[in-house]
Amino acid sequence: MTAATAIEVSRLTKDYGDVRALDAVTFTVRPGRVTGFLGPNGAGKSTAMRLVLGLDRPTAGTATVGGRPYAELSDPLRHVGALLDAQAAHGSRSGRAHLRALAASNGLPDARVAEVLRLTGIESAAGRRVRTYSLGMRQRLGIAAALLGDPPVLLLDEPSNGLDPEGIVWIRKLLRRLAGEGRTVLVSSHLMAETAAFADHLVVLGRGRLLADSPLAEFVEGRADLEEAYLRLTASAAEFTSGTGEV
Amino acid sequence: MNATAVLRSEWIKITTLRGTVWSLACVLLVTAGFGILASTAQGGAEVDGDFDPLFSVLTGVGPGQIAAIVFGTLAVSSEYQSGLIRATLAAVPRRGLLYAAKLAHVGGLTFAVALPTTLLSFLVGGAALGDRALGLGDDHALLGVVGGAVYLTLMALLAAGLAAVLRSGIAVLGILIPFVLVVSMVLGVGSSAGFADYLPDRAGQQVLFADPPTDVPPLAGLAVTALWAGAAVLAGWWTLRRRDA
Repeated sequence: MTAATAIEVSRLTKDYGDVRALDAVTFTVRPGRVTGFLGPNGAGKSTAMRLVLGLDRPTAGTATVGGRPYAELSDPLRHVGALLDAQAAHGSRSGRAHLRALAASNGLPDARVAEVLRLTGIESAAGRRVRTYSLGMRQRLGIAAALLGDPPVLLLDEPSNGLDPEGIVWIRKLLRRLAGEGRTVLVSSHLMAETAAFADHLVVLGRGRLLADSPLAEFVEGRADLEEAYLRLTASAAEFTSGTGEV
Repeated sequence: MNATAVLRSEWIKITTLRGTVWSLACVLLVTAGFGILASTAQGGAEVDGDFDPLFSVLTGVGPGQIAAIVFGTLAVSSEYQSGLIRATLAAVPRRGLLYAAKLAHVGGLTFAVALPTTLLSFLVGGAALGDRALGLGDDHALLGVVGGAVYLTLMALLAAGLAAVLRSGIAVLGILIPFVLVVSMVLGVGSSAGFADYLPDRAGQQVLFADPPTDVPPLAGLAVTALWAGAAVLAGWWTLRRRDA
């Protein structure tokens, strides 16, 4: 787990019809720290994550993991773990069956499924249909799926969403531990206090453009807290593009 | 990333959903059930001019194809419920491989269930028909049994391909089920009959008759259905490759 596991996004652009969701964004997510990925709704965070994972095709620019496009990774779950949407499991399947199917596709043993179920604390619900899960449990299932391949790179889209206070503390510790092990961890969030608690570094998008790419301490400097610093930055970004402010 | 691993993963997916498992079971229950019932009813009846000893025992393929269509549809459309496709494609970015593995199971499982089903219909239905029944060695008989299973398999693949294009189970079933139940039958009478003979269901079902009702030869009819299914499968593959997930 060296710098060979960085996520590199270069002049990445994505249009959906007439809407430019991402506009020539360039940043690097480095290993060994938690990078908070911030921006208002519609800023392009999820789009950027989908492009990194090869789910959507970029209009221009590139996104690579460890220097290679995601689609070229063999057994990608062993390289990159992703949580994009906590709903991304079939409601009629059990949590265990969902994980077993994902694990099998990358040649991961069922024993690893049992491990991530234990790690995320949903062991006792593993045999139940996902439809019966609470949002917090689905979130844990999504995190379990991301951890399946013990990957050196993690992309998590709002992992704290729907978690109870115990769960929020758990995810914070998990993120710190994963970064401490030298992994590359990119975490999007709308919760500023939460992000301030786990992030070392920030990448901020607004209206599809890169607004900031700096260490947390530097970003907050001179402001009361992360929330104030963030709101000031994104508010001016909305003015700058003369769109309707979303903040 | 190898084909065996992806096949195994897709096997787990198909066998861990009630909808896919039940619809596959219904291919057997409905097809054999209707065939045997129809033959039993006809076994004691007077012989009339429309009686076809092969279609009588294989008549369940008509309603049974609904189950095959549902199976093929669900095997693919279940990916598009609740954004599962994104987790799937993140695990298997090679979309062609993923699609091939899925369709291999749809085709393989449908045929594996459909062939014993048509054979069972033929044997039990034949016993009910008594001395008017065909033997497996008679003209058209084996072609009907194997061809009927191939037909059900092709309809499952047609549905699977269409599901990959439309990415919604409800949309696929909303098109295909009324189509095989009503549209094709309505088009089959009157001036449009010549064209309707080449619709996927009517063409492929020629193989179920000892004395086919249209001029399309049984094997050619099955080939026509295969072309329709092939077109749907290709369209699904193109859609999956091209579109954002």
